[in-house]
Amino acid sequence: MTGAGTLLAIPSEPSAVPAPRRARSPLKAAMLLVGGVGLVLMLLPLLMTGYISTIADSVLAFPPDGHSLSWYARLGEFPKFGQALGTSLRIAAMATIGSLAIGIPASIALVRHRFPGRGVLNVLLLSPLTVPGVVIGLALYVLMVEVEIRSEVPMIGSDAMLVLAHLLITIPWVVRLCVANLMQLDRAIEEAAANLGASPRQVLWKVTLPMMRQGIVAAGLFAFIISFENIELTLFLISPGVITLPIAVLQYLEYRADPLVAAVVMVQTAVIALLLVLLDRYVRLSKVV
Amino acid sequence: MSTRPPYLKIEALSKHYGSMAAVDEVSLEVAAGEMVVLLGPSGCGKTTTLRLIAGFVEASAGRILLEGRDYAGLPPYQREMGMVFQSYALFPHMTVAQNISFGLRMRKMPAAQIASRLEEVLALVKLEKMADRYPKQLSGGQQQRVALARALAIRPKLLLLDEPLSNLDANLRQEVAREIRRLQRAAGLTALMVTHDQDEAMAMADRLVVMDRGRVQQVGPQEALYEAPENPFVARFIGHSNLLRGTLRDGCRLRLGEGVEAQLAQRYNLAGDATLALRPERIRLLPPGDPTPARMTLAVEDATYVGAHVEYLLALPGGGSLILHQPTTGLAGAARLAPGSRAGLSWDAGSERIFDASDRALAAAGPAPALASV
Ligand SMILES: Nc1ncnc2c1ncn2[C@@H]1O[C@H](COP(=O)(O)OP(=O)(O)O)[C@@H](O)[C@H]1O
Ligand SMILES: [Mg+2]
Repeated sequence: MTGAGTLLAIPSEPSAVPAPRRARSPLKAAMLLVGGVGLVLMLLPLLMTGYISTIADSVLAFPPDGHSLSWYARLGEFPKFGQALGTSLRIAAMATIGSLAIGIPASIALVRHRFPGRGVLNVLLLSPLTVPGVVIGLALYVLMVEVEIRSEVPMIGSDAMLVLAHLLITIPWVVRLCVANLMQLDRAIEEAAANLGASPRQVLWKVTLPMMRQGIVAAGLFAFIISFENIELTLFLISPGVITLPIAVLQYLEYRADPLVAAVVMVQTAVIALLLVLLDRYVRLSKVV
Repeated sequence: MSTRPPYLKIEALSKHYGSMAAVDEVSLEVAAGEMVVLLGPSGCGKTTTLRLIAGFVEASAGRILLEGRDYAGLPPYQREMGMVFQSYALFPHMTVAQNISFGLRMRKMPAAQIASRLEEVLALVKLEKMADRYPKQLSGGQQQRVALARALAIRPKLLLLDEPLSNLDANLRQEVAREIRRLQRAAGLTALMVTHDQDEAMAMADRLVVMDRGRVQQVGPQEALYEAPENPFVARFIGHSNLLRGTLRDGCRLRLGEGVEAQLAQRYNLAGDATLALRPERIRLLPPGDPTPARMTLAVEDATYVGAHVEYLLALPGGGSLILHQPTTGLAGAARLAPGSRAGLSWDAGSERIFDASDRALAAAGPAPALASV
C-alpha cells in the first residue's frame, strides 16, 4: 500500500470532508454517511501506516512495547532512501514537463484542428492506458536490451530512458485532461480574439492557454503523481544507481519489514501532500480533479 | 447608390458542407452607415453568412468586397470587423476593462490612448462601474454590453451581430435593441445583424434580407416585404399571411375546393394553379345584413378575444383554417359570429397577393369586374 490508495486519497480530501451542516433530508444524510465511510476507508491505510511508523520495536508485534519517532530520526542512516527520493522527484519532474510539452500541443491539435491521421494520433496517445504497465515495462526492457546489444550504448538505468518510459504513461493522462478541458471551452471565444485582431499565435498565448490553466494544472499534477508512484513499469528499467522511491521501499521489504518502511512511506506521502497544498494556492483543486 | 459603389458588396457567396449548401449564392449590397438585418428561420444559413464575412469559414464560391477590396484569403485578424457573438464569447480570464481593450492591445495602441478609448466606450455602454469585474460577475444584459463595447472599441469597418438579443430576457430585448441602434447610428457604423425574430428584425433594420434554405428570398425595407412579398415564403414569414392554394379561372376567380371560390379584387393574366396570400388583419368580416358583396364565404370554427382583436378560425376546404383578425375597436355591441355560422369575407385590392405555380408574385392586370350582391 505505498502507492495509489494513499496518494490518491489526498486530492479528494478537501471536497470529501463532510460539511458541519445538519442534513436536511434522508437522502442527504445517506450521502453524507456514504461519503464519510468512503473517506475513512481511504484514510485508513494512511492512518495505519502512520501508526506503524511510530512503533518503537524493530519487529512488528501487537500490542507494541512502546512508541517513538525514532524511525524518522534513523532515516538519515539509510542514504539509499534519500537518494531514491531524489531520483523519484527528478524523474517525475522531467516526466511532468515532458508530458505537458507534448500533451498540450497534441490536445489542441486534436480538438481544434482537422488533419489527416488525427484519429490515429488520438488512439496512439491514449492507447497506453489500455495496456498493463507490466507489459509495457517488459516490452521496453526487451527493446532496450536489443538496442544496447546492437548499439553498445548503455540504456537501462539512465534517467533519459526512465523519463521516456514514464512519458508513455503520463502523456495519455495529460491528453485526456487537456482534451476534456478544451472541449468545454466555447470555440467562439478564440474566434472573438481573432476577430479583434489577435494572430493565431496571440490567440494561443493570450486566450487558449490561459483558459486551459485549470486543465493544465490538473494534468501536470496527475502526470507527476503517476510518475512518482509508478512501480510496474519502473521495475524493469532501474539499475543499482538509479532507483525510485517506491522501488527502494519494495526492495527493502524483501529483506525486512520494520517500521522504517512505514516512515519512508509517510515521507513520500508528505511530499505529495505538500505539492497539492502548494498547487491549491494557484488553482482550486476541488475544481479541477 | 448608383453614383458611389456600395460600401459592402457580396457577390454570389456560397458555402457547401458536403452536398448541402448552407449558403447558396447570396448577393447583397450594403451602403455605408446602414444597418441590414438577415432574417430567416433557424438553420437557413444566417450565421454561416456572417462567419464567411468575418473570415472564420472559407467560401466555396463568391466574393466579399469591402470598400472595393476583395477580402478573399484575408485571415479574420486582419479584417477589422467587430463581431458580437450569440454566446457573447467574453474572455473569462479577463476583466471587463481587459476584455474591451483586448482589440486595442492587439493593435499595439499606446497605453494612454487605450485608456482614453476604454473610458469613452465604457461610458457609451454605461459600464463605468463594472470595469474591474469578471464576466461571470455580470448579468446577461451587462455581458451583452461588454460584448458590444469590445466590438465597438476597435472602431470596426463592419459591425457583425449574431442574434445579439436571443440570450436576453424578453423584457430587456427592446431596450437593448434600441441601445444597439443608438450606438450604431452614433458611431456611423455599417452593420450586418442576424436574427430569426421577425419583430426584432423589423424594429432594428434599415433594410432586411429574408433568407430560407441558404438562399436570399427577398431584400428590401420593412414596408416592401410586408406589402409586396415576392414569394409565399416571405408572405408567411413576415406577418404570417394565410396562404390559399387553388385554381385560377377567368383571371379573377380562385377555386379553393368543392363549392368554395374566392372572388379576387384584381384580374391576373394567369390560368391554372395559384396561391393567394391574405393577411389576417386585412380581411374584413362582413356583419350579417351588410350589403357589401362577399369575396368568399366560409364557416366559423372558432373565435377568441385576445385584446387588440378577435381571432377567428374559418374552415377551408381540404381541412386547413383561415385566420382572420377583427379589430376590437368599435366592436362593442356588435355580435360576434358564433362557431358554425357562415361568414362573408371581403378585402381590398391592395391586400391580396397572388403567386403562380412556381411561387412568383403576379402583377395585377387591372381591377376585377364588380361583384354582384349575393
Ligand atoms: N461546420 C458545419 N458543418 C456542417 N454543417 C454546418 C456547419 N455549420 C453550419 N452547418 C449547417 O449549415 C446550415 C446553416 O447553419 P447556420 O448558418 O448556423 O444557420 P442559422 O444561423 O441561420 O440558424 C445548417 O443546416 C447547419 O446544420
Ligand atoms: Mg445562427
